[in-house]
Amino acid sequence: MDAILQDLRYGLRMLLKNPGFAAVAVLALALGIGANTAIFSVVNAVLLRPLPFPDPDRLTMVVSVNPAKGFPKFPASPPDFIDWRAQSRVFEEMAAVDGAPYNLSEGTEPERLNGSRVSASFLGVVGVKPVLGRDFLPEEDREGAEPVVLIGHGLWTRRFGSDPGIVGRTIALNGKRRTVVGVLPQGYTFPNRSEVWTPIAFDHDELSGRGAHYLHVFARLKPGTTLEAAQVEMDTIAERLRKQYPDSNTGWGTLVSPLSEMMVGKIRPALMVLLGAVCFVLLIACANVANLLLARATERQKEVAIRLALGAGRLRLVRQLLTESAILGLLGGLGGLVLALWGTDLLVAAGGDNLPRFREVSVDGRVLLFTLGLSLVTGLFFGVVPALQASRPDLNETLKEGGRGGTSGPGRHRLRSALAIGEIALALVLLVGAGLMFRSFQRLLSVDPGFRPDHLLTLDVALPETKYPDGARQTVFLRQALERLGALPGVVSAAAATTVPLAGGVISYSFSIDGQPEQPPSNRSSARYDAVGGDFFRAMGIGILRGRGLLDSDVAGGPRVAVISSGMAHKYFPGENPIGRLIRIDNDHERAPREIVGIVADVKHSSLDGEAAPHVYEPLAQAPSTWLTFVLRATVEPMSLATAARQAVLAIDREQPVSEMKTGEALVSDSVTQPRLAMILLSVFAAVALLLAAVGTYGVVAYSVSQRTHEFGVRMALGAGRREVLGLVVRQGLVLAAAGVVLGLLVAAGATRLLAGLLFGISPTDPITYGLVAVILTFVALLACVVPARRATLVDPMTALRCE
Amino acid sequence: MTANGRAMIHLEGVTKVFYTDEVETHALATIQLEIKKGEYVSIAGPSGCGKSTLLSLLGLLDSPTDGKYWLDGKQVADLSLSDRARIRNLQIGFIFQSFNLIGDLTVFENVELPLTYRGMKAADRRQRANDALERVGMAHRARHLPSQLSGGQQQRVAVARAVAGSPLILLADEPTGNLDSKSGEAVMELLRELHRGGATLCMVTHDPRYARHADRTIHLFDGRIVEESAATAAS
Repeated sequence: MDAILQDLRYGLRMLLKNPGFAAVAVLALALGIGANTAIFSVVNAVLLRPLPFPDPDRLTMVVSVNPAKGFPKFPASPPDFIDWRAQSRVFEEMAAVDGAPYNLSEGTEPERLNGSRVSASFLGVVGVKPVLGRDFLPEEDREGAEPVVLIGHGLWTRRFGSDPGIVGRTIALNGKRRTVVGVLPQGYTFPNRSEVWTPIAFDHDELSGRGAHYLHVFARLKPGTTLEAAQVEMDTIAERLRKQYPDSNTGWGTLVSPLSEMMVGKIRPALMVLLGAVCFVLLIACANVANLLLARATERQKEVAIRLALGAGRLRLVRQLLTESAILGLLGGLGGLVLALWGTDLLVAAGGDNLPRFREVSVDGRVLLFTLGLSLVTGLFFGVVPALQASRPDLNETLKEGGRGGTSGPGRHRLRSALAIGEIALALVLLVGAGLMFRSFQRLLSVDPGFRPDHLLTLDVALPETKYPDGARQTVFLRQALERLGALPGVVSAAAATTVPLAGGVISYSFSIDGQPEQPPSNRSSARYDAVGGDFFRAMGIGILRGRGLLDSDVAGGPRVAVISSGMAHKYFPGENPIGRLIRIDNDHERAPREIVGIVADVKHSSLDGEAAPHVYEPLAQAPSTWLTFVLRATVEPMSLATAARQAVLAIDREQPVSEMKTGEALVSDSVTQPRLAMILLSVFAAVALLLAAVGTYGVVAYSVSQRTHEFGVRMALGAGRREVLGLVVRQGLVLAAAGVVLGLLVAAGATRLLAGLLFGISPTDPITYGLVAVILTFVALLACVVPARRATLVDPMTALRCE
Repeated sequence: MTANGRAMIHLEGVTKVFYTDEVETHALATIQLEIKKGEYVSIAGPSGCGKSTLLSLLGLLDSPTDGKYWLDGKQVADLSLSDRARIRNLQIGFIFQSFNLIGDLTVFENVELPLTYRGMKAADRRQRANDALERVGMAHRARHLPSQLSGGQQQRVAVARAVAGSPLILLADEPTGNLDSKSGEAVMELLRELHRGGATLCMVTHDPRYARHADRTIHLFDGRIVEESAATAAS
């Protein structure tokens, strides 16, 4: 123990004696460990940390699947859910959820709240209990039950001053009074960042519509039941339903998936790539510090030789040198932790609302343990080879008075060069990765979304059905709102739609075309669907390619009309003119035929990187909706219209809140949050790697120059000019760079295949990216050589020779 | 070979002052010196008298603080660094006390090195380097590294390197200083041979045995030439 303390004391003293060396090493390690800690804290929160529910491993989601129709994961229909729940034996509880916004009109200002309609069993499934009041009773999710609500802790605090008497009070949600039966725990907002939960009660129509898939089904496995067993049972039930309801269920199956996987599965590949990237950064940092230690080992040869001469064992010496490395590692870890704390704040701010579980990202005990372990392992990793090298000097030569104790042998030089080559290669792999992500992101942003996002403002309005129970009243509100919004100064045109592109909402309906063979409902094709009002296509900047758009004259009671997208026209009317043809949409029981009156440009509705799906539009006046997104095309900065637009809606209905105000550009920007964050992070890590590799190359070349001062003196005495000396040093750096670049290109060609799933419109072996990165890296390596090379040219041959 | 009367080196009032912190060290003071073509001159004197400084000035490794220096009739005291490097390469051959061979290069590459700075064709370089190694009897070790040779052999290679470029003058700084007496004698014999072959030679030594081999010995003391003596014993 005494010896260890002595090693620690001596190690600290040695570092304090060389503050420059210590600072550079600690900074390099802090960058590497900090990047690892930051990304690990994301991985920890998103992938490793169990969901914040009791027995989270037993929580699953059950989804509908229809591979033939291209639905790998799809919500369930109410009757399917009822059958699944009734027939399954593997689940302790099963609950359905439907996201539902609520207008809270208590107090002065109406407020739009995220909410969920849930089965009465929902809290039982997730294992959460109210902190005040009670859970829903089983009979409360049946039609005709008393209207009740559970509210979130945040809402209770914010709007009701944490009133302990809230339970039993009624509040107005969507114009309907509901009795508060309980308050849920602080921080609990699952699912949909909800603040209110109401029981979901299916009416007759809903219970008979097997084609209407909109429920998210959560289920808790019975203890001891495996996922595989649950899947087998659900397959059996799906098979039974296919036989029982061939019209609606042919082709539909089920998939039981862990809830955690459903929530974060999509982000896993990007996080794994980032984790790999930060490992590379750390490896480069380690190589840098190992290089510094090797240089220092040369300077310390005499000290080591004296210790050995005095009888120190080699193992004892290695231990002492490794203790110094461990101290460096721990100091680097401490610095890294500080960087990571700062970095995770940035990460949460960048991805918080758009990426799953990002709000949970924090530095917890596991992250601290990870950082500590990483710091120690790192310290050993970069320290062991220099320690072994340093502990075997040529005693006889080194201890001679004036002996050549200050030079490094060719083996050590080769090792230092190999480390620099490795750094350059790793940096190149990261730069290629970042370059590919950057070019992919550029291509993603250059995708034509099919609408003009500039000078566009969108705002959501959810009309309460109690207040607007029928199409007529909904249409009146729509007309008034369009008039008022369209009259705002700076607004060119106002329109509305059930959903707008890239906002997250998607409505799909199956349809049939008159004149084409009739199919049973389950075999019908599906298309994206939206009901639109006002001058929607003009406001959105969606081009009308043929026929006409939807007009104010397309009113309820008039001839039913529809407009389809260009892709839909090509797919379902190949070589024909769709104008004038009749289409029937399964969004109501009547399936009234709509005459196709126009063809509009394709729109990327779900994401920029996806295909523009076939899309059918019909007038809101003929298919009214309580869910409306208003769209304002403006001549002014769109967000400057926000207050006026809200006031315009309130002027029609002072209890009607407006939410989700976003510009068209924000819609596009938010839809690419994940690739943007991955691109930014990879670029930051690549920049750090480039910097470290440049420092590493500089270190090797500068050290070599300092070791070769005498040689340069000789060369200059023999007539070498500055240019020759400069060339000699730069050539050395370029040889390192070339070797690193070639090695890096080979590694990158393999490693970037892992990126393939994250790239859009670019191959993982894109030659332009590889070429550019190779040139950039070589140029940076060249720059890194310039300073030592200039120093070499300043060698005074007389002084250099006199030193001998 | 005797001097032919044409001045190869001519120094006039050359001084060299080193400034370190606030101390001025007068290493050489008003040196007047002439070395004729084909002459063999030795510079002798006690340690610290300025022998090596004088040799550095003659070899254009350093420039005088004051005074004029003509090499082969050209003023060279105020040349730029690159011009000095060019003249060193073309007109001066150095032989150092500690050989100053480059450890990573083979014997052949070391000898070839000054020729590479002339932009000479590879075949010519090879020819000249091989000839020089033949002259010093080291051709058979051309592929060896300096560390594989004895001190005497290394100095022979250094001599080969100095003569490979056919310089106007050879400058030798204590060429036997790091050698045992037998090796030292062999190297001195080599230098005498070169002189006999027409080389102009200027050698710093404090060994009177070797100083006597020269045509003329210049004695330095405290940076001044205090005595010049002709050789008393011809080789």
